[in-house]
Amino acid sequence: MKRQFGTDINMIKYEVCVEVAKLAFAGELETRRDEIPYTIIPGNTPQWRCCVYREREIVRQRVNLAEGRPAIGTKANKNIVQVLPAACEGCPINRFSVTSSCQMCMAKKCLGACNFGAITFEGGHANIDPKKCKECGRCAEACPYNAIADLMRPCKRSCPVDAITMDEENIVAIDEEKCINCGQCVINCPFGAITDKSFMVDVIKLINSGAKVYAMVAPAISGQFGVNVTNGMIREAVKALGFTDMYEVSLGADFVSKNEALELEEHVKEGKKMTTSCCPAFVNMIKKHFPQVLDAMSTTVSPMTATGRLIKAMDPEAVCVFIGPCIAKKGEVIDSITYGGADYAMTYEELASMFEAKNIDPADFEGEMQQGSVFGMEFSVSGGVTNAVLSTFKERNEEIDVKVCRANGALECKKALMMLKAGKLPEDFIEGMACVGGCVNGPAMINKSRTYMKDRNTQIKQADSRGVLENCAKYDDLEFSMVRK
Amino acid sequence: MLVTICIGSSCHLKGSRDIIASLERLVSLHGISDEVELTGSFCMGECAKGVCVKVDDELFSVSPATVEQFFNEQILGRI
Repeated sequence: MKRQFGTDINMIKYEVCVEVAKLAFAGELETRRDEIPYTIIPGNTPQWRCCVYREREIVRQRVNLAEGRPAIGTKANKNIVQVLPAACEGCPINRFSVTSSCQMCMAKKCLGACNFGAITFEGGHANIDPKKCKECGRCAEACPYNAIADLMRPCKRSCPVDAITMDEENIVAIDEEKCINCGQCVINCPFGAITDKSFMVDVIKLINSGAKVYAMVAPAISGQFGVNVTNGMIREAVKALGFTDMYEVSLGADFVSKNEALELEEHVKEGKKMTTSCCPAFVNMIKKHFPQVLDAMSTTVSPMTATGRLIKAMDPEAVCVFIGPCIAKKGEVIDSITYGGADYAMTYEELASMFEAKNIDPADFEGEMQQGSVFGMEFSVSGGVTNAVLSTFKERNEEIDVKVCRANGALECKKALMMLKAGKLPEDFIEGMACVGGCVNGPAMINKSRTYMKDRNTQIKQADSRGVLENCAKYDDLEFSMVRK
Repeated sequence: MLVTICIGSSCHLKGSRDIIASLERLVSLHGISDEVELTGSFCMGECAKGVCVKVDDELFSVSPATVEQFFNEQILGRI
């Protein structure tokens, strides 16, 4: 199928993944990986950079990341989000810059505001000496004409936790201690110099080995392959790739709603506050930046772990692969190896690449399926977790008086956690989602078109209206824990 | 103490999941969960030595048959 891409960066990332997947499926990666840069960048005319050699070097670094290794030339680290040094342009922009709106006024408030002597007046306007500027921003605040622009580097601006710095050559560097793997810098760097490591090759090698590999698709999947491609069709396509079967993580989400509701009831009785624990970037934010409120975090496992445990309760030999729009989930897999849920995590981008590599189009298959409730499916939309948890009280004909904070996006999460830490948060239940709008705006969505939400909602409208508890009851004979260890 | 177990496909096929389960059981059996953190990692690039397990930064080759001995010597022995 012909795929539409948001940007050329998405396209190149996809093409590299497709080539890596092709060779991995054929078992030829070891001997032929060096051909990939030439397959993707043929000829001698560069399209995006100074020369084809640099373009090929970037592809070579991308191949490395698609194979799960850090980019060549960077220090080994555990982060999922990685820098491609060859792709970073070092953005030679000075953060504060005087624009043509400068009126060369008499007040010269910029001059008075600068403590570092960086402001001079030449050529009919103010100037900022980049060697002296400390990027404090006082001049921009002081200018009565808003004539000083704040041109922060896009990667740095996108990072909600201030994890991005520059090395001595102005190449971006990510502080692993601070990074929550949310993936904002990955989608915001205009040169595609930051990307995520992949487990895709591991998954293909396991499929090739004959292992029983199960796919677990996150609820943002609805509509990802077009309005007419249902989850049932995707399931058949996933099986054609060599997976044993596919499960919907919305099913695990139903178990999370059930368990989190019970937990919330306890918390409310004891007058304590509680946060959700399903968004891995939000969990990282708590662990790394607000460890003081760790006790308030729900002890319920994520829908990914719940689904993995459910599958393993049925088939102990199962290798469970989460597939979602999320980069941070890959880090969750690494951090939660002792939970016995997911063995690997992949993205929709990587799944689509695998389809392309095998020449499989989900639109060519037939099938229907619904494993999760609509509440479980809506876990991927901001506010959806709260609605699902609260729906279980209704289903039990009970009432709960609880004030809810829906923290939509990393900045709102940060604000809510700061308030919680200070003991000033009025709400009792905090739903934290690091992506604005929820997982449906995740960094690794394959369909980012304007019609995506419409397609998704059209599909969800066709689902039946089973309740969360009603759905969980169907699996009563399976034994698995819903608590983190 | 940070114990990192490779979960790449090669180590997976050699039993990394069994090793994780064994280590988890032994760590809680000896009541040292607060001192030992078990974490995973992408392929460490030493597939021939799999299953690769790092104790802090030192690499060891462990198999499901030798996991108990490894635990006694390299984890318990260092605490």
